Amino acid sequence: MSKRLIDEDQVVCVLGCYTSASRKSVLPVFEEKDSILYYPVYYEGNECSSNVFYTGAAPNQQITDSIPYCHDNFGPKGFFVGSDYIYPKESNRIAIAELEKAGGQAVGDEYAALGTTEFITIINKIKAAQPDFVLSNLVGDSIPAFYRQFKDAGISAEDIPIMAYPTTEEEIQAMGPEYSAGHYSSFNYFQSVETPENTAFVAQFKEMFGDDRVTNGVMEAAYIQTFFMAQAMQDILKAGDEINTGTLREATRGQEFNAPQGPVKMDEANYHAYLYSRIGKWQEDGQAEIVFATDAAVKPIPWSQALYKGRMCEHPTPDDRSDPTKETGKDLEPVFL
Amino acid sequence: MLDLAFSSMLSSPAYLLAQEAAAEATGESFSYTSLANQALNGIGIVGILLLTALGLAITFGVMRIINLAHGEFIMLGAYITFWMQDTFQMDLLMTIPFAFIGTALVGALVELTIIRRLYGRPLETLLATWGLSIVLQGVIKLIFTAQLKYVKAPSYLSGSIDLVKDEAGSVLVSMSYYRSFIVVVALALLGITMFLFYGTSWGRQIRAVTQNRSMSQCLGVNTKLIDMGTFAYGCGLAGIAGTVISALKTVSPPMGQDYLVDSWMVVVTGGVDKLIGILAGAFLIGESNAIIAFLLNDPTARVLVLGAVIVLIRYRPEGLFTVQKRS
Repeated sequence: MSKRLIDEDQVVCVLGCYTSASRKSVLPVFEEKDSILYYPVYYEGNECSSNVFYTGAAPNQQITDSIPYCHDNFGPKGFFVGSDYIYPKESNRIAIAELEKAGGQAVGDEYAALGTTEFITIINKIKAAQPDFVLSNLVGDSIPAFYRQFKDAGISAEDIPIMAYPTTEEEIQAMGPEYSAGHYSSFNYFQSVETPENTAFVAQFKEMFGDDRVTNGVMEAAYIQTFFMAQAMQDILKAGDEINTGTLREATRGQEFNAPQGPVKMDEANYHAYLYSRIGKWQEDGQAEIVFATDAAVKPIPWSQALYKGRMCEHPTPDDRSDPTKETGKDLEPVFL
Repeated sequence: MLDLAFSSMLSSPAYLLAQEAAAEATGESFSYTSLANQALNGIGIVGILLLTALGLAITFGVMRIINLAHGEFIMLGAYITFWMQDTFQMDLLMTIPFAFIGTALVGALVELTIIRRLYGRPLETLLATWGLSIVLQGVIKLIFTAQLKYVKAPSYLSGSIDLVKDEAGSVLVSMSYYRSFIVVVALALLGITMFLFYGTSWGRQIRAVTQNRSMSQCLGVNTKLIDMGTFAYGCGLAGIAGTVISALKTVSPPMGQDYLVDSWMVVVTGGVDKLIGILAGAFLIGESNAIIAFLLNDPTARVLVLGAVIVLIRYRPEGLFTVQKRS
């Protein structure tokens, strides 16, 4: 389908893909045809393509802060669960490395087939392992079933809190907030973020889709990428140029936008976005109380520093498509916008 | 039977405590208490399997319709519950009769328009019901969107019963109320269905029609009505299953697919001639899944159990619990 879009429909760029599996399968097409994909989902990192602009969280904008938070607030023993495909496995691999770096250890690492809704076995293993917290990378349909059965098995959020990456306001609404209250998620954006841009965003969203709907981090990332693309195209047209892969790539890098989560920017060198890192504690009303947030957007580092110390990604110039991976060999300090 | 004796031996408190102490002494994370707990919780899986397979045991087991839309009737039941809760704020248990009637009506309509024309043509039935499952998913997506839906669980069935505690008072073996409730519902429905089939004249007519359609017709049985009623009843059971599991699982348009494969495994393993076979099938598959998943992991358990079922139907295509018949 991506081939058809590029060859027959002659699109200059595509906004989309949800799972990492879908991104990985279209990536070779975009690289071969030298076209551009805007990808809006938090992901496992360890990838650096000059044909993709990533507006979801890189590992250092989601995992790097949340794991030390769990270690310091809940304890050193983590139990890792996830759906059985590339994103959860890679994400958990990074998270386990981060936990070991913080001095903790993984007491379990379990995967369930994508879409599974029966979690009694994994929950029993969690009970037997007695971890201080659970880190969940379960996605989609599995999420409500897991939280419901977790509580139903008699484990309270005070005993073993769940820290999750894919659990957003949307899944909380589907499972019922009574099952998620007291658990945590780490995201760049929550509906409860207090900025004027977010107030307007939420109001417009509810007007368009109904009062009972909620916003979430992936929606916001998709919203951001659309503005990055639109602003880039406007800049190209203002300069009187033609919109093609080269000009669009040149114009998109460095774009800034006052997003609902706060001011964000597309990094010039690695084509990932500067994003805020936040941790939310889910409340009885299905909204998150933000218990941790960076003061400004964090510079993205696509390679997990816990696994690949000092490895960074820098595209030399927009036209140079040589391997952007660079080894610095030393710890990369966090940089803020 | 062996399994039962084994698990009751495992759950005797003295045995458990001794094993626990041994596990602690050796510093192993594995413990027999957790395994016993898992075996008991396996019953929870068995309950869900039994409940979701019961409808298929009617539509395939009794009527021999290769019904690939079975999962979608479960999904319809869940959506009826969601809709009634959303609109009338009804308790989950109160929606059960409506889920039964609603899905049974859809089932009757499907029988009247599609299935009826395809009796004796299993391949076409397979394609038609597969198509039907796609259509039903599509219709639900159009009406309710593809969002996951929230079904409220009855508050009086939340939490779990603690069966065995250690000296420090922490719970070693427990069973959730809701899963126990599912087991009770499944067994009750199985009992009612067996009574209907073996204890009423409607049941006798159904069995007569499956055994020899033209002969029953000659004897004055309204086979068309019997077919429609039986298919609708099977669909209605699937609807109840959808309602009951919706409180523990996730409600979304493709949810039925998950149960379809499991239901088929249960029905095929247990044998299609006797309804009681699905109890055995559900027990075997549920418990072996639970134990293997606990000792190894979930994906491996699925592979092993599915592989075992394939081997089984190679050597016993009629299932484990089928009485030998003269051909």
